Amino acid sequence: MKKICLALLLFVFTLGELSGCASGRPPASGDKTSQKTLTIGDTTFNPENAEPDVNPHNDYAGWACIRYGVGETLVHYSDTMEVEPWLAKEWENVDEKTWKITLQDGVRFHSGRTMDAEAVKQCLEHLIEVHDRAPNDLMIDTMEANGQTLLITTKEPRPALLNYLGDPYGCIIDVDAGFDDGIVAGTGPYIALECESGDHLKLTKNTDYWNGTPQIDSLIIRTITDGDTLSAALQAGEIDAAYGMAYESYPLFENEDYVFSKIATSRAFFCWMNYESPVVSDPAVRKAIAMGIDKQSFVDTLLDGNGYPGKGAFPDSFSFGGDQVETEEYDPQGAMQVLEEAGWTDEDGDGIREKEGQTLSLKWLTYPSRQELPLLAEAAAATLKEIGMDVDIQVSADHNTIVEDPKAWDVYASAQVNAPTGDPEYFFSVCCLDSSSKNKGHFHSDKLETLEKKMAVEFNPAKRSDLAVQMQQAILDDHGYVFCSFLQMSQIAKANVKGYTAHASDYYQVTADLDIE
Amino acid sequence: MAPTALKKDTTKKRLIIFGVLTASLILVSIFAIPLCPYDPYLQDLSNAKAPPSAMHLLGTDRFGRDLFSRVLAGSHTSILSTLLLVAIITIIGTAVGLLAGWWGGKIDVILMRLSDVFLAFPGLVFALAVAGVLGGGLHNAVAALAAISWPKYARIARSQTAAIQKTPFLAAARISGNSNARLILFHVLPNIIGPILVTSMLDIGTMMMELAGLSFLGLGAKPPAAEWGSMVSDGRSMLSDSPWIPFSPGFAILLSVMIFNMLGDTIRDYADPKHARR
Repeated sequence: MKKICLALLLFVFTLGELSGCASGRPPASGDKTSQKTLTIGDTTFNPENAEPDVNPHNDYAGWACIRYGVGETLVHYSDTMEVEPWLAKEWENVDEKTWKITLQDGVRFHSGRTMDAEAVKQCLEHLIEVHDRAPNDLMIDTMEANGQTLLITTKEPRPALLNYLGDPYGCIIDVDAGFDDGIVAGTGPYIALECESGDHLKLTKNTDYWNGTPQIDSLIIRTITDGDTLSAALQAGEIDAAYGMAYESYPLFENEDYVFSKIATSRAFFCWMNYESPVVSDPAVRKAIAMGIDKQSFVDTLLDGNGYPGKGAFPDSFSFGGDQVETEEYDPQGAMQVLEEAGWTDEDGDGIREKEGQTLSLKWLTYPSRQELPLLAEAAAATLKEIGMDVDIQVSADHNTIVEDPKAWDVYASAQVNAPTGDPEYFFSVCCLDSSSKNKGHFHSDKLETLEKKMAVEFNPAKRSDLAVQMQQAILDDHGYVFCSFLQMSQIAKANVKGYTAHASDYYQVTADLDIE
Repeated sequence: MAPTALKKDTTKKRLIIFGVLTASLILVSIFAIPLCPYDPYLQDLSNAKAPPSAMHLLGTDRFGRDLFSRVLAGSHTSILSTLLLVAIITIIGTAVGLLAGWWGGKIDVILMRLSDVFLAFPGLVFALAVAGVLGGGLHNAVAALAAISWPKYARIARSQTAAIQKTPFLAAARISGNSNARLILFHVLPNIIGPILVTSMLDIGTMMMELAGLSFLGLGAKPPAAEWGSMVSDGRSMLSDSPWIPFSPGFAILLSVMIFNMLGDTIRDYADPKHARR
């Protein structure tokens, strides 16, 4: 009898447990009365990628700010990277140095403050004060706020000012609302609630949004740096959408349960040469490196076709990109000849060339958060070895610190969106000029500096495009940079996620259109 | 009497079998490079992720490199560095233990407290920290594991030395006028080496796993080096569509760790009849 009682008791408990489970489960997301929750896994939202939080005035964190729907910029980029109105309703070039920008009416920050010219002025002033790239890009001299009209005067003629203002660092935020924990008050469809650097970001919908009706009550961005973890998380349903999925995981999601959104971007995987390096400062070595990397096979095999081989700094989709420039093709025989002629020969028969006691050995620095980069390093190391170069690969999350030390690396491979503003000047002003903040390899070209002076004052788009081609050719002729490939970006989401669309700029990910059924 | 003799007999057979297996494993790892059918670093992107075939016994990886050659070349790296590591910790640990046990007093206290410090950390976590500070590379991984693994040997050597010091034969040797060095090398060491060697044999498998573990985490061998741990790590994302890529090095680790562990067990049984109960 005791046993039967015990069994019954156990049965009742089990039932209780099960029903408890059922009621404890999160309600189906399609239920209209329930809260809509959506989680996005992202490989790049972390300090290693200079995106520690969502404060646009902090390094590259503006990318996170705009991607996750917190902030918006004055101008928006179209799919072809043309500038179109956003927080700015219209603009006018009063004279070469003066711009009159009229702002949208009825836009409010998450803090409740109305977005007017005074707030924008305050935001841009703060940006110029604290940011490393913005002051040189924008060259703002004075600003005058009057209601919804902002009058900007630049120090020099700045033809691409509007393009630069569309850069994520140009997210308009309420500076008075503060920057606690890297959280800012923007004007976007989602309000940041909680940010733990390198871990997650919690957002909620902005019911007061000016440009549509956001749908998700609780939006969570999870930083998942490891590609395998990301793919497992999406399969297990821990996340509803993923950014930065490893190519080899694509087949797992190529079915009706998931949707892909693919687009070609100007994100380039490219090598920076270190002109301080005793080996790479030799022009013949740089030329041989340019000839010794098999870009086509890298794209076809290692990226599974999810990309395009690179020539210059910009992809085909730009008028100044693609085949407009000339550069070396993959040619191992030719590369060997170049090295031979420059006096790099293999004296000791170990397969690695030497010259005047110096071994042809390259320290190749790169980082793991862009999955393509370690693959590129290994593929290049194999083909360069065939022409007699030894490549010592260092894949480090700490690359931003290491690259500061010119003795620590010879070649630095990175991934960067080269035309984030749709305008070509950005790439040169950030990477290749004497004044560039990121010119860590100390590249210098008189020709490029002269061309940049022309570019800086040129307002005609066709002429800017011509100059961009000449400028690319200048850096390619010196083999200061080797552009290996451009990314075809894919965002993957569960089939019930709507409006999770990849954009050519790689900025706009979370918009008011995002929804889950 | 008879059953014990029988057990000893099967132990001997096992010893011979595993001894031969281990010897062939070590031989293969020494001569791995000339045995490779292809250059383990030769990339052929047009033949990437090819499944196992007559041409490529274990298939190719995503760079089109022959996996059989890479697993062979990996044995060179993995097994030889493990043996080197075990040799280092055995020698250092035994030397420290001998000194502490022989001299006693302050030296004993200092050395043993030092080893306590190392024993107080969880092993692999400490190795991760050391390898992290030293940077990547197989040499640094070996150094990191050596730094945390010697105290075990120091402990054994010390207790054995201390026990032996009180024995009459050592007193006799001392009275005969032997120097300290001579006493340690010729009278103490040969009498304590048994348990130490057994421990080091048993440790080979563990150390191989830990070394592969560090490489798996990216703190050991650097790409493109053929090393089993890093090969598994490289291939794990391809488990669903090209399972042979992570499977080959994984199986190599499993097999060699098993052989070394079996040999260690057998040697222990053989050396110590009390253990031979099965």
